[in-house]
Amino acid sequence: MRSVPKLIRRFVGLLLLSFILLVVVNIVIIAIIASGQMENARPWSTAEQVAAALSQTENGYLLPAEAAAELSAAGAWAILIDNDTKTVVWHSDDLPDSVPMHYTLSDIASLTRGYIDGYPTFTSGTKTGLLVLGYPKNSFWKHLWPSWDYQFIAHAPQIALVVLTVNVFVILLIYLIANAKVLRSVKPITNGIQALPSGEPVYIKETGLLSEVASHINSTSEVLQMQKRELKKRETARANWIAGVSHDIRTPLSMVMGYADQLQTAPDLSEKQRHKAGMILKQSQRIRDLINDLNLASKLEYNMQPISMKPENAVAIVRQAAVNFINTDIDGKYPIEWLTEETISACMVNADSSLLTRAVSNLIQNCIHHNESGCTIYVSVAQEQKNCVICVEDNGIGATDAQIEKLNTTPHYMVCDENTAPQRHGLGLLIVKQIAASHHGEVMIGHSSYGGFLAEITLPMFI
Amino acid sequence: MDSAYLKSKRILLVDDEQELLNLVVSILQDDGYQNITTAKNVREALLLAKEIQPELAVLDVMLPDGNGFELYERLKQNGDYPVLFLTARGEEEDKFRGFGLGADDYVVKPFLSKELLFRITAILRRTYKEEKPLARLKNSVIDFSRGEVRKDGEHIPLTAKEHDLLSALYRSAGRIVTIDSLCEAAWGDNPYGYENSLMAHIRRIREKIETNPSQPVSLVTVKGLGYKLILEDEKRKTLRNED
Repeated sequence: MRSVPKLIRRFVGLLLLSFILLVVVNIVIIAIIASGQMENARPWSTAEQVAAALSQTENGYLLPAEAAAELSAAGAWAILIDNDTKTVVWHSDDLPDSVPMHYTLSDIASLTRGYIDGYPTFTSGTKTGLLVLGYPKNSFWKHLWPSWDYQFIAHAPQIALVVLTVNVFVILLIYLIANAKVLRSVKPITNGIQALPSGEPVYIKETGLLSEVASHINSTSEVLQMQKRELKKRETARANWIAGVSHDIRTPLSMVMGYADQLQTAPDLSEKQRHKAGMILKQSQRIRDLINDLNLASKLEYNMQPISMKPENAVAIVRQAAVNFINTDIDGKYPIEWLTEETISACMVNADSSLLTRAVSNLIQNCIHHNESGCTIYVSVAQEQKNCVICVEDNGIGATDAQIEKLNTTPHYMVCDENTAPQRHGLGLLIVKQIAASHHGEVMIGHSSYGGFLAEITLPMFI
Repeated sequence: MDSAYLKSKRILLVDDEQELLNLVVSILQDDGYQNITTAKNVREALLLAKEIQPELAVLDVMLPDGNGFELYERLKQNGDYPVLFLTARGEEEDKFRGFGLGADDYVVKPFLSKELLFRITAILRRTYKEEKPLARLKNSVIDFSRGEVRKDGEHIPLTAKEHDLLSALYRSAGRIVTIDSLCEAAWGDNPYGYENSLMAHIRRIREKIETNPSQPVSLVTVKGLGYKLILEDEKRKTLRNED
């Protein structure tokens, strides 16, 4: 379940990015505002300029017209308090009446930090006294106690960083707590959705934020399970039906075969009659092989054939299958040539030995079936890359290109589900293909270099 | 391999189909078996088994009052004799169950008369061996009970491995026994990689049983596949058939 942590990572990442962006935007805004506040220093510099411009003449103090115009433009007034007498020795023209003409030292200390009668004041020293500028009421706010703890100012950057970090942490915590509940409800939902394709039954507790989604997933799972059960039931019924029929045929067929066998050798019958009995026996054997094949093919098709896989030597299995045929081929009509290279004594595959023997036997039997007048059968096992290739071929009548194409591509009636017209009959090769498929291998059918039919089973080697 | 002494063995056949019983009886009688008793259900089979003390039982699996596997276990409580299942149940799991119980063979219906006869004879021969099984070859005789080969009046002892290999070849005399089966007979369950040892043993066996080991006539090689032990009486039989 990798998507939920991924989801959390993405959300947290997004949050952190937003936070960084927010800090950057804040710094920019503060910088803009701060630069706008540079104006605040202006009254102090104006005071200095006025103090410098004010000159003492024989007729008293004189302020040049430019400076006076600047003062009146700002709506400000000015006074000069004499150092010795602490009285106002000069003032601008528009001095309000409420401004005192005499000052004590404490008045001066107070006006330097604050106001005179509500007028914010700014000072600058001159040679003879103190120049005080007064601005209109409510034009400036002045900090009356302008002092900071030294350590606080000295560590201001670190403090700002700590505050910022704590803020980030607190916001993350709030976010995680707020989202934990949502994630708790999402996790079973995503688990459930991921489990659905595996075909296993899924049940999610229908509570929490996403209870409605959970309920829909549960009902989907129920529908899937029901369909699976129905399909299995139908397949089992079909395979059981075939197994039942083949079982019930066996006992009566035993009697047909048994008596036909006896009649075949009965001395009191004519040669012709014995031959007919022989035919009955031969055809009965065909029926027996057919029902055995039908039963196995249906079980393989519906996954009802128990398969016990273990590492096996394909060379030994194929060799035994070939020898079984040689030992029963009394009249030598179907000689088998073993073409496996002597250097290959073992080729290990993960296989069910009885099924693999059956597949090879079917291929050899196939050569025999299609060549009534006899043929040589060539059997080999080869190792190609990581595969084990079992090849059975003959020098018999073979098949046309069209027939081979049909065998390789046209579906068999056992497995065909749509087209009903062009189906293949005969179960031997179908079983070989089914067995190869159950061993993760494949079957290739073609022309033999000896002139007849060729079939190759390719199985992955056991490493 | 004369099997006349086996024809007098007491055989109990159990099957619910009278017709099939008649068929098997006639197959066995035609081959010379004389002591055959039949039963159609478990109850009858148990009664008859007590009475006749069979030397071989041939059992169907599906019986009207029980199944052959249970019958097998109850029969085995009263006597130790070989049992062959003859049944229409051909599934692997049924076969494994039968063999798992200890059955000596399992034949699925429908069957060929000859096959059934061969299997019954083989079981009887395995169980009731002649005192001295002798394998007569062209130039020598193998005496399995003494573990020796007699050639030109000489007694040549066989090693344990040679005895195992010859026994495996003798059991399938006249037929090819694969290299793998021989390795398994001599070296057990994990027989891969013993091919060269096998060849060495075969060479030594030939030195003991053949007059000219480089041109063997009794233990012949079938290239790439395995070896075949040819008995002198089998050879005579084959020659007769060809005549």
